[in-house]
Amino acid sequence: MIKFEHVGLRYGIGPEVLSDINFTLEPGSFHFLTGPSGAGKTSIMSLMYLGRKPTRGLVTMFGRNINDMDRAQLCALRQKIGVVFQEFRLLSHLSVFDNVALPMRISGHRESEVKSNVDELLEWVGLGDYKNALPLTLSGGQQQRVAIARSVIARPKLLLADEPTGNLDENIGFRLMHLFEQLNRMGTTIVIATHSQNIMDRFGHPRLVLEAGHLHVHDNSNWVQKNIEGVY
Amino acid sequence: MRGVLSRLTGNRRLGIAENKGRYDLPLNQSAGTHFLVLLVALMTFLAMMAITATMVLGGVTKHWSSGLENKLTIEIPALKPDGKLREAGDIKALSEGVTKALEASPNIKNLEVLGQTEIHQLVSPWLGDDVVLDDIPLPGLISLHVHIRDDEKLAQIEKAVKEVAPDIRVDTHESWLDDILRLARTMKLSSLVVTLIITLTTVTAIAGAIRSRMAEHKADIELLHLMGASDLYITRQLRRHAVVLTLKGSVFGAGAAILILFALSLMSGGAETGLLPGLSFSAAQIIFLAVLPLFAGIIASYTARFTVLRVLGQMP
Repeated sequence: MIKFEHVGLRYGIGPEVLSDINFTLEPGSFHFLTGPSGAGKTSIMSLMYLGRKPTRGLVTMFGRNINDMDRAQLCALRQKIGVVFQEFRLLSHLSVFDNVALPMRISGHRESEVKSNVDELLEWVGLGDYKNALPLTLSGGQQQRVAIARSVIARPKLLLADEPTGNLDENIGFRLMHLFEQLNRMGTTIVIATHSQNIMDRFGHPRLVLEAGHLHVHDNSNWVQKNIEGVY
Repeated sequence: MRGVLSRLTGNRRLGIAENKGRYDLPLNQSAGTHFLVLLVALMTFLAMMAITATMVLGGVTKHWSSGLENKLTIEIPALKPDGKLREAGDIKALSEGVTKALEASPNIKNLEVLGQTEIHQLVSPWLGDDVVLDDIPLPGLISLHVHIRDDEKLAQIEKAVKEVAPDIRVDTHESWLDDILRLARTMKLSSLVVTLIITLTTVTAIAGAIRSRMAEHKADIELLHLMGASDLYITRQLRRHAVVLTLKGSVFGAGAAILILFALSLMSGGAETGLLPGLSFSAAQIIFLAVLPLFAGIIASYTARFTVLRVLGQMP
């Protein structure tokens, strides 16, 4: 699914923020990406959602080297990836419904299909009554749920979430984690960047730990020992 | 107008967040939207005036050249080569000689020896109506209308005339007509250059506005890009925005230009004078002016497409 080989990333002429990153994520896996602030979690996520290209090394996504792909192929690849951004990045002039519907519309789904799927998902995340509201009228937690709904609406093959439960109360946070697990059981590969020890302990998936731009594997759980073959 | 535009654009209204219509980028809320409409309106107005000037100058050129097209004047000088005056009888005899030499030629459509009355009419603007022509040595003039006026045919006419008398001249009017036509063509070219400059200015303004919109909504465009929106998907939205604004502006500009031209036409009385043609247009010219806003829309569409694709090309 995802393979990083000796990947490095630097911004402009600055120092490398990621150095010699090597890992493989198998299809259908579920990983937490963790590490202290400034360790490079958002940078490594941006490489995975194809927001940037590495300054060195090889990134293989869905079995293909991204450097060998043209723009149309990269667009098609991005449509298979759902992203929950740390700062949500909702379009403030669009309603909750239109924000969530965006990935389906971009990938050309029929409007009737868009409507039924979006309505259903908004009910599920508890925002059924807010579908015509503009994002700025919602609380931080509600906006985060909109962002999460938008990331999963098109049934992505890979879901990347940057601190997805950060602004949610514990109950809703766990509920959304169960949604991610449900998607994972349906075959979606999931990577969640989080600081929450509570979430990581409770859900026990393998952890990719970033420290000062270098990646390590934290394998202190039985789950990891059974499933870590794909991760260096 | 809004309803028609809404239907044309697939019921997608600018920046309105509701279930039915949508426009992913809030382009109508961008600063400078009204300025762009005004700028396009002014440019369209100027373009229409410049194009109209080109058409009028084209009409003037045609008017002047067609008046003398295939026409020649044969002049029997009043003075002989030795400086002595030619008698009226000599001039008449030479006129008859020339007529005889030319009238058999199949290239001659019409030949008319100008009499005293016609010559009097020609010189009266300069000498006055009361002048007695008998006191003034006047040349003999023969007006010729030919079928074909090329170098070979002119040489044949000149040869036939010179055989009658070597000092008889064939005036093709080229010497003065060429200067006037050159002036008219230069003015016409100037109008075309002005039209071209206006077009380039409009293209630059639209491209600048699109770049400004893209900078303003950079984060939203990046988001669409990261969600897998193709370059064409994003381009379509900015392109539609540019076309709608340009059409609005150009319709206003063209409307204003048509009003002004109509007023000028009324002021000129629509009358054609000997020197200038009337301010009137052919059906093709009217259609061309009427579809000018459409041309502006097409220019806007391609300018926006080119600009957006260039900027998007900088994204990974």
